[in-house]
Formats: sequence, C-alpha cells, structure tokens
Amino acid sequence: MALLATIGRRSLGLFERLGRGHLFLLSVLIRIPGLLLRPRLLLQQMWSVGVESLLIIAVSGSFVGMVLGLQGYNTLVTFGAQASLGVVVAKSLLRELGPVISALLFAGRAGSALTAEIGFMKATEQLSAMEMMAVDPMARVVVPRFVAGVLSMPLLAAIFTAIGIMGGYFCGTGLLGVDEGAFWSQMQAKVMLVQDVFNGVLVKSLVFGAVVSWIAVFEGYDAVPTSEGVSAATTRTVVHSSLAILALDFVLTGLMFN
Amino acid sequence: MKDPRLIEISVGIFVALGLASLLMLAMKVANLADFSAPPGYEVRAYFDNIGGLQVRSPVKMGGVVVGRISDIGFDSKRFQACVTVRLEQRYDHIPTDTAANIYTSGLLGEQYIGLEPGGEESYLKNGSELTITQSAVVLEKMIQEFLYNKTAKPEPQSP
Amino acid sequence: MNSPSSGPDSIVRIRNLHFRRGSRAIFDGVDLDILRGKVTAILGPSGSGKTTLLRLIGAQLTPQQGSVEVNGANVQTLPRDDLYRLRKSMGMLFQNGALLTDLTVFENVAFPLREHTRLPPSILRSLVLMKLEMVGLRGARDLYPRELSGGMARRVALARAIALDPTMVLYDEPFAGQDPISMGILVRLIRELNDALGLSSIIVSHDVAETSSIADYLFIMAGAKIVGAGTPAELRESESPMVRQFMGGLPDGPVPFHFPARPYLGDLLETPL
Repeated sequence: MALLATIGRRSLGLFERLGRGHLFLLSVLIRIPGLLLRPRLLLQQMWSVGVESLLIIAVSGSFVGMVLGLQGYNTLVTFGAQASLGVVVAKSLLRELGPVISALLFAGRAGSALTAEIGFMKATEQLSAMEMMAVDPMARVVVPRFVAGVLSMPLLAAIFTAIGIMGGYFCGTGLLGVDEGAFWSQMQAKVMLVQDVFNGVLVKSLVFGAVVSWIAVFEGYDAVPTSEGVSAATTRTVVHSSLAILALDFVLTGLMFN
Repeated sequence: MKDPRLIEISVGIFVALGLASLLMLAMKVANLADFSAPPGYEVRAYFDNIGGLQVRSPVKMGGVVVGRISDIGFDSKRFQACVTVRLEQRYDHIPTDTAANIYTSGLLGEQYIGLEPGGEESYLKNGSELTITQSAVVLEKMIQEFLYNKTAKPEPQSP
Repeated sequence: MNSPSSGPDSIVRIRNLHFRRGSRAIFDGVDLDILRGKVTAILGPSGSGKTTLLRLIGAQLTPQQGSVEVNGANVQTLPRDDLYRLRKSMGMLFQNGALLTDLTVFENVAFPLREHTRLPPSILRSLVLMKLEMVGLRGARDLYPRELSGGMARRVALARAIALDPTMVLYDEPFAGQDPISMGILVRLIRELNDALGLSSIIVSHDVAETSSIADYLFIMAGAKIVGAGTPAELRESESPMVRQFMGGLPDGPVPFHFPARPYLGDLLETPL
C-alpha cells in the first residue's frame, strides 16, 4: 500500500511539475515580442550563452571529426571503399553527432549556468526585488536567456559540424592518404541539403536548443531558493536535458529519415 | 559588466561564424544543386528484384544522371517491386520502349537504374510505364548459377 | 482590533487579513492601518510572518481572505499595469539588499531609472549620484555587490529603493545581522529619509530597541494576530503580558519557551519498542 501511495504521489508530483513547466513556457513565449524592443538584453545573453560555449564546441567538434575520420577509414578500408570516407564523416556529423553532441555540451556548459544564474537570483531575492521595482523578471531575466539559448544552439551545432568535417578531412586526407577529390565529390554527391543539412543540423538543433533552454530557465525559476535547492536544480537541468536530447533525437530521426 | 563594445563584437563574430558554417555545409558539403529539385515527370517500372536500390538513387542514361528514384513499393498483384522514377523535365524525349536495368557501380558500390533508349517515335510522359526491365544482379544467384554450370559442364550447352 | 483611527491619512489599510501557508495560519484576521508620513514598525518574533506581510502589501502574494488597500486601491484586484504603476511608488529594502550581482553599485541604483524612464545620461548620472550621496556611498559607485559589506549593500539597496522617488518604503529586517555601527547608520538613514523626502516607512523587524527608537507607531504581532499597538512609549507601559514579554525580551511567557509537546514524564517513561 505504502509503495502504491508513493508511486501515486510521485506521479502526481511529476504531472504537476510538467503542468507548471508548460504554463511557464507559455508565459515565456508571450513575452518574446517584448524582447524585440530590448535587443541589448539579448546581446548580453548571446554572449554568455553562445560566445562562451564556442571554445568547448570548437575543440570537441574537431576531435569528434578526427575520430570519425580514423574509425571510418579503418572500417571502409577493409572493403576498399575509403573514398566514401567523406560521406561517412559528413552524414554522421550532419544527421546525428553534430546536433546531439553539441546539444549535450550546450546543456552541460550553458544550460547549467542558466539554471544556476536564475536560481541564484531567486535565492538572493533579486527576482523579488525586480518585481517590487515594477520590473517583470520573466521579461527581464528569463526571456532573453531563453531566446539566446534557442538562437545560439543551431549556430553552435553548425560550427561544431563544420569543424568536425574539417577535422575528418584533415585526418583522412592528411594522415591516412584518402584522395582529396574523392572525399569531397563523394560527399557532395550523397549529402542532401534539405535531408541532411536542414533537417539534421538546423531542425534538430533548434528543437534541442529550445528544449534545453526551456528546462534550464524553468529549473532555475522553479528552484528551491537555497544553495542546496539551486545546486539540485542545476543537476536536474543537466540530467533532464541530456535525457530529453537523446529521446527527442530518436523521435526526430524516426520522423525525418524514414 | 563587460565592455559593451567587446560583447557586441564577439557576438557579431559568433553569429557570423555560425552562419558561415551553415553556408559551408550547404555549399561545400551538400553541393547546393540538390536543393532545388528540377521540374520533372514520373514514370513507373516493375522489377522482380531491385537489390539494393533506394529512394533517391540516381537514374542514369549514358552515364549522365537524368533523374532520381522517388518511391519504391511492392505491387501485391504482380508480385513485383514497383519503382517510381522522377525524370528531369529537360529530358523529355526518351522513347517509350526504353529499357531499365539495375546496375551496380563497381563491385560493391551503390546501385542505380540505367536507361537504354529504344527506337520508338513516342516519348515517355508523366505516368508512363517502362515495360522492358532487367532486375538487379544478386550475387548469391550468380554464384549458384556458376556452380551449377560447372557441375553440368560435360553436357553440351544449348545455345 | 487595536487599529488607530482609520482616517483618510492612512496609506495602507488592511482588513480582516487571512493568509495560510499549507495548514499553518500566518495571519488570522489582521486589521492594520499605516499612517502617511510616519515611520511604522511591525515587531514580532521570528517566523511570525512579518516578511509575508510586506509581500502581501506589494501584492507578490495573495491572501485567502481579506483586503489590502494601498492609497485606497485594493492591490489584489488591481490590473497588472496599475499594480506595476503602484509598485513604482513603493520602494522595498530586502533583508540582504537583493542587489543585482552582475551590475555595479552605480548600475544597481540606475536600474529602476533605466527600466522606467528615458532620461538623458547626464541627468541619470546626477540622479544616481544624488541617491548614492544620500546613503554616503557615492565613492563606492564602481564596486560590485560582492565587494560590499552587508551594511553597505543595504545602503546601496536603500538608494535603489528611493531611486524612483517613492511615497512609501518598506524595510524587511533592516537591522538583522548588522554590527552596531552600520545599525546606527541605518537607523539614522531611515529616519532622515522619511522626514526629508516625506515618505511613509514600514519597518518589519525583531530588533525592539533600534526599531522603537525611530518608529512613530508600533504593532506587535504574535500567533498570527496583532497583540499590541501604540507609540513606543505607550507600549513600554503596556499591561498586556504578551507585549511585556516581547518588549522586555523575556524567554518564557505567553509565547511559550517550549514547543508544544505532551507531558515530559509520559515521554520519558515510554519504552521504545
């Protein structure tokens, strides 16, 4: 009985939180037009969300691309098909690894920072203080961060993917001696703009960016206003966004590529 | 607060870098040409076996890509694979008795449909059917036939 | 009960206020009037919901029953735009200042001005410096909140609270955790600002001595009710045991020393099994 009660309570709590999260998203969305009047707020957040994630994205992208080059070559060379290395590297980066890994990194780097920032502002009553100064903290604090996250993610994923392909290119043609012309021409013959670039990098990373930013700002805004509460919320942001990214990736892949 | 000028510049660089990457992915990696599917018309062809043929596999004529496969299905009345081919509009003078064969580029490469033009005066149009088809070469079948021929060697082969 | 004359000169008027958090009643039928132009203090033991009261006045919380009127308008039924306009006429000093951590002292004080006005930079600058001068921190304008002591942070927050020239300032525990010197500074500041700018001040506190030294009128809260009201002098002479316990700081009395429990002997004799 106690077990059933616990399960019941937990699931009710979960649904309640889900409901609050959706209402929260709604109130974020209706405030987005107001942000257009304050581009400087967005700029400030694009800096801390996007620019400050750039280094980790670029470095990871080049390593992932180089590993793909190595592994792909080793597999392809057994069939004498190393000329297809470009296709392997480009397709796997564009469709999966680019958007997914950059989103995971984004959740760890920027998502957790968003939650911690907003949670800290809540814990130190900065959000209440804004309310009392007749400043809407949703519009002033939450919305710019959310929009910056949504906009930065596709850019970061594109940079990650482009650098990854370059990494695979240098690894394949420079180190392993794959023919340069074949690398690019095979890639160009097989990679589709809408199917791979648009659906893969753009759509997926937009969805991931929106979901990670949503989770991050909601967890921050909803955090228990103590240091434990904020640190728990930060952990939840990383865990939940990572799960959401992987699960959504499966769903999106299913929808797009079948 | 950091120097606003610095923030403006670095966000500018970030956005430019992101857009440049997207552009590079579109131009250099996806070779933009595939983006705008040229106007075309669709014809059908039935095969006993399509092997590794896939949607978007190329359709070639004399080695030139004249269209792509737009759909693959199975006709349960004819017990054959039904392949819909989208041919580009500018190749609109293809005779109706053109043969469609499934070829493989290289030993293990991708498969494509090769068209060999016939001599009819009427041309293929939207909804036409390619009646002369030859299925994909299945490696196992080939080996089987080869072995069968070997064992049956003493007998004189019929022409 | 115990409310002063509810004339037209009361800036805040609270009637029959009921507020509960979970099953715990924070306010159980509270009536309160706060006079315009005076320093009014609300005293009560920790956890008696004093901060909650300020949030109810600022309409950050909604009571289950009863009404809160500020300047004759019921804050709970006020449309959002009107509420925000009303809040601009209210300054609030939070317990720990609640300064925005990524902005300098100058930008913190400028924050409400930048959000609500379109002043030219030169006027904005002189306004901010004027407010900072009032709290004696003009020299600290380029520091970040993390570089300030607790007392200084509160003074900056005070400068920010009066940036929009409010008619009323709410102080949430302004003296808690302050050393004697900054306490003295804050006490003086609150009184001086009130008189110089013609404000109405509401102080919520549990520091009896400091608060009663500057307040014109005191309310004492305990057990979700107002148990005493009057000028500091009147309250010191009060016969009510509750008021006497609080004003004198006695450990036991109507507010019991012991948390409610069953008899001690019974607890001791029970064999845990």
